[in-house]
Amino acid sequence: MLFKRSKKREVPGDALGIFLFDEVSSAIRAEKVLMAEECEVALVAPPHHLRAGCDLAVSVARVEYVGAARVLADAGVVVREWVDDAEGTAEVCDLVTTEDFGEWLMIRSGNMKITVRRENGVIVNTSGGGCPDIPYLNIELVGKTIWEAPRPKELGYTLCGLMLDRAFCEARELLGGESR
Amino acid sequence: MSLLVVATYPVSGGPVLSGPVHSDAGVLYVGGSPVPASQGTSAMLGAALAVSDYLGTPAPYALIAGDIGRGDGTRAVYARLADVAAEVCPSVVAFHYMQPVMALMRQAVCDLGETFPDALLVADAGGMYAAKAAGVAGRFELMTPDVGEVGFLADPEATHPAYVSHYLFGTEGFDPPGLVRLAAQSDGSARVLLVKGKTDHISLLGDIVGTVDAPDVPALEAIGGTGDTITGLAAGFMAAGFPTVDAAMCASRANRHAGHAMVATPAMRAADLVAVLPDVFSEYLCGWSGVCPVCP
Repeated sequence: MLFKRSKKREVPGDALGIFLFDEVSSAIRAEKVLMAEECEVALVAPPHHLRAGCDLAVSVARVEYVGAARVLADAGVVVREWVDDAEGTAEVCDLVTTEDFGEWLMIRSGNMKITVRRENGVIVNTSGGGCPDIPYLNIELVGKTIWEAPRPKELGYTLCGLMLDRAFCEARELLGGESR
Repeated sequence: MSLLVVATYPVSGGPVLSGPVHSDAGVLYVGGSPVPASQGTSAMLGAALAVSDYLGTPAPYALIAGDIGRGDGTRAVYARLADVAAEVCPSVVAFHYMQPVMALMRQAVCDLGETFPDALLVADAGGMYAAKAAGVAGRFELMTPDVGEVGFLADPEATHPAYVSHYLFGTEGFDPPGLVRLAAQSDGSARVLLVKGKTDHISLLGDIVGTVDAPDVPALEAIGGTGDTITGLAAGFMAAGFPTVDAAMCASRANRHAGHAMVATPAMRAADLVAVLPDVFSEYLCGWSGVCPVCP
């Protein structure tokens, strides 16, 4: 079993603010758009009193707020609100483990799992989770290789989809997908 | 005694479907409309239907709508819940794959408590996430978390399993009794929990009252929907009148024996498990529960 945690950025908590969104998919898109502009961002849980259920926010250094807001507006990403204080946010679980099934390898990220055939990278199963995009992602991904399948976060809309995306990326890394 | 399942199915823009569940040639139907085979609701309904078919109890009744994660179907089923519940008069209501929207779950639990105060509430998947995050977990009779989810129930700050503290996560040092106790103490738990794992733990009010560890079929964890079948089995047994702890124990055993009977590999489907449930019931259920449709 393998344990892995992603590197944390070194930005003081009191120097951050957060963008809030109505949909998790908007937060994921915001992260992608801002990272393309080399803005240092992180996906985080909003503070408890600002959560509605399946929420995801993007934290950004406060000094970069004006530019980041303009980038998001230009990209058509709808922001619900900017909060000038990141206190009370929480990191998304970044613990990844693997389970060896011989012919198959299962990768678990948070509450989500993806299982691939070692010899050809075919996704044979996804499991775990509870948000409604998970059965949909199961149908869309199973039977494809991890190199031809779209990333779960390009298809999904929820935090479960995001966790499955992390397992998916780990599967690509473990099976050497990037070099194929 | 009837089971009402409130959930979604993975079709974008799929209409609200409500009605009794039946299957024909391996396809599941709700109110006469086919439901796509996948992990999630169809696996759960398939297992619940296997129970009712075997015991001769009423088929589960489903209220589901298409939703691929945007929450539209979830909102649609909540909007219809009061009307459908009035029609079905459920003894058990199970919330399953749904967008975890705290406000909608809070309102639904409140409304059901007024109109059907004796109905037993079951939650798994997004229904469980919403119930716990909304602070109404204590109103539920049964929840069926897996290894990664019991830490979520035990973490008073988490509103989704993606935000579970590392020390509560189900890896090395995983301590189901401790997490179950924490969940009960922080009002994050139903009265009964069935914690799915290498060993299944069944708890009542925070104390472990039973475990099931055989047969051990590790491949089941990799198969999407085999946790959903446990929930469907437990809800089905509850609707048949089993005490909740007994329902959970029988569900855990039946799921494992079905996994063993199907010679499970990680590449199989939840539908493969559902297909062997009648044989498992026939061989074991009478011995586990004393309930047998053919015994005098």
